[in-house]
Amino acid sequence: MTRGLWRAWLGTLLIQASWNYDRMVGLGSAFASIPLLRDLPKERYRAAMERATQFFNAHPYMAGMEVGAVARAEHDGVPGDQIRRMRHALVGPLGSVGDRLIWAGVLPAAAGVGLAVTVLVSPVVGVVSFLVLYNVAHFAVRGWALRAGWRSGHAVARALMAATVQRGLRVVGPLATFTVGLALPLVANWLAADFQIRTRLAMGLVAGLGIVLSRWIVPALGGLRFGLAAAAVGLLVGWLW
Amino acid sequence: MIEQWGWLLLWGTVVGLDLVSVGQVMIARPLVAGTVAGLIVGDPVAGGTVGVVLELFALDVLPVGAVRYPDYGLGAVAAAATAAGAPGALGTGVGVCVGLGVAYLGEVGIRVVRSRNTEDVRRHRAALDAGETTAVVSAHLRCLARDALRALSVTAAGLLLAAAAYRWPPVTVGGAVLVTVVLSGAAVGAAAAGGMRLSGRGLALRWFALGVAAGVALVVVL
Repeated sequence: MTRGLWRAWLGTLLIQASWNYDRMVGLGSAFASIPLLRDLPKERYRAAMERATQFFNAHPYMAGMEVGAVARAEHDGVPGDQIRRMRHALVGPLGSVGDRLIWAGVLPAAAGVGLAVTVLVSPVVGVVSFLVLYNVAHFAVRGWALRAGWRSGHAVARALMAATVQRGLRVVGPLATFTVGLALPLVANWLAADFQIRTRLAMGLVAGLGIVLSRWIVPALGGLRFGLAAAAVGLLVGWLW
Repeated sequence: MIEQWGWLLLWGTVVGLDLVSVGQVMIARPLVAGTVAGLIVGDPVAGGTVGVVLELFALDVLPVGAVRYPDYGLGAVAAAATAAGAPGALGTGVGVCVGLGVAYLGEVGIRVVRSRNTEDVRRHRAALDAGETTAVVSAHLRCLARDALRALSVTAAGLLLAAAAYRWPPVTVGGAVLVTVVLSGAAVGAAAAGGMRLSGRGLALRWFALGVAAGVALVVVL
């Protein structure tokens, strides 16, 4: 990668720092674009920055594709209106692909492996395996997204349709659900290891209640609210104990 | 103790920044944040244990779009500080209680930071719309500093809560074990519900069921 591309890549690591309700990651995208737009003539640079600061949103790892594609289009002299339309058109696909690939795929898959290794080997080995597994995929996606955008310019949609991306999307979902499923009994058994059978049954009962409540009765409850409610009940009963 | 708190504050700030603003290399996951905080206070097993429980709760969250999510990483730092030194299951439950409270505080903090960022951007709208580089860079760095301040202050609040729980334990020994049992069960339930939500109804749900079956088989074999 060229020096400007490296600096833009570093900028994408901070792309969500100025997340706000008006422009979402628009400002972060402009911040990351600066090294790639710097060598444009003054007036064109200013016009490009005007466009870059407007509303934009995407998955943070995939947003580099917009940064690269827009910068390339600005260098190629693509008309401003067309660049604006391209930015808007990228919001949905970059968000959707990133969410499915990373948040619903790589992250739970790596977390499942990390949890399983933690309980089978040790917490430190579990943490290292989680971080290595996750970040190999993370940095590969970030680097690829920026390079693909910079290479493709306003024809960036083709990069999203690449066979590798589509194959990745097909594989990563089932892999994530399998590893989370695998980790659950291992972790439950590890947490209950010191308890007698009656205590284990009580733990299972609370887990079952959690599944029924969060999945079917109050789906909007969320893990944190259920956890806080369980903590309140546990502390109250524990205090009366 | 003071030195440990200094390192925990530093670690909490780094963890809080990783959640959204810087890198997202996932040191903000409770499994990582809790284990490292445990290493800092000299009890990696306690840190790892509260990290595992909070990680199960975190598996229920899909951070898609502009969703608001709890800051379980900062929760894990405070939880590890609470649970450190307590034998076995005694510290885990109370630690996780503190961790969940701090995670909620972190979530509220994110909302406040995002509102302040929005006000900041509106205040400097003219310069930003004109594409002024200095305005873009300074607004971006101000927002970054705001998030660092959030992470630092939530970590500090979490450590104070941890110290209070350590100094004045809210429950007896039996009560502490009961809290651990309830929260461990709740965490497994939350993670299972999250896994099922992640799977949907199709083929992925079968993969989830297959994973659970493989996990159960491993438990029996090992």
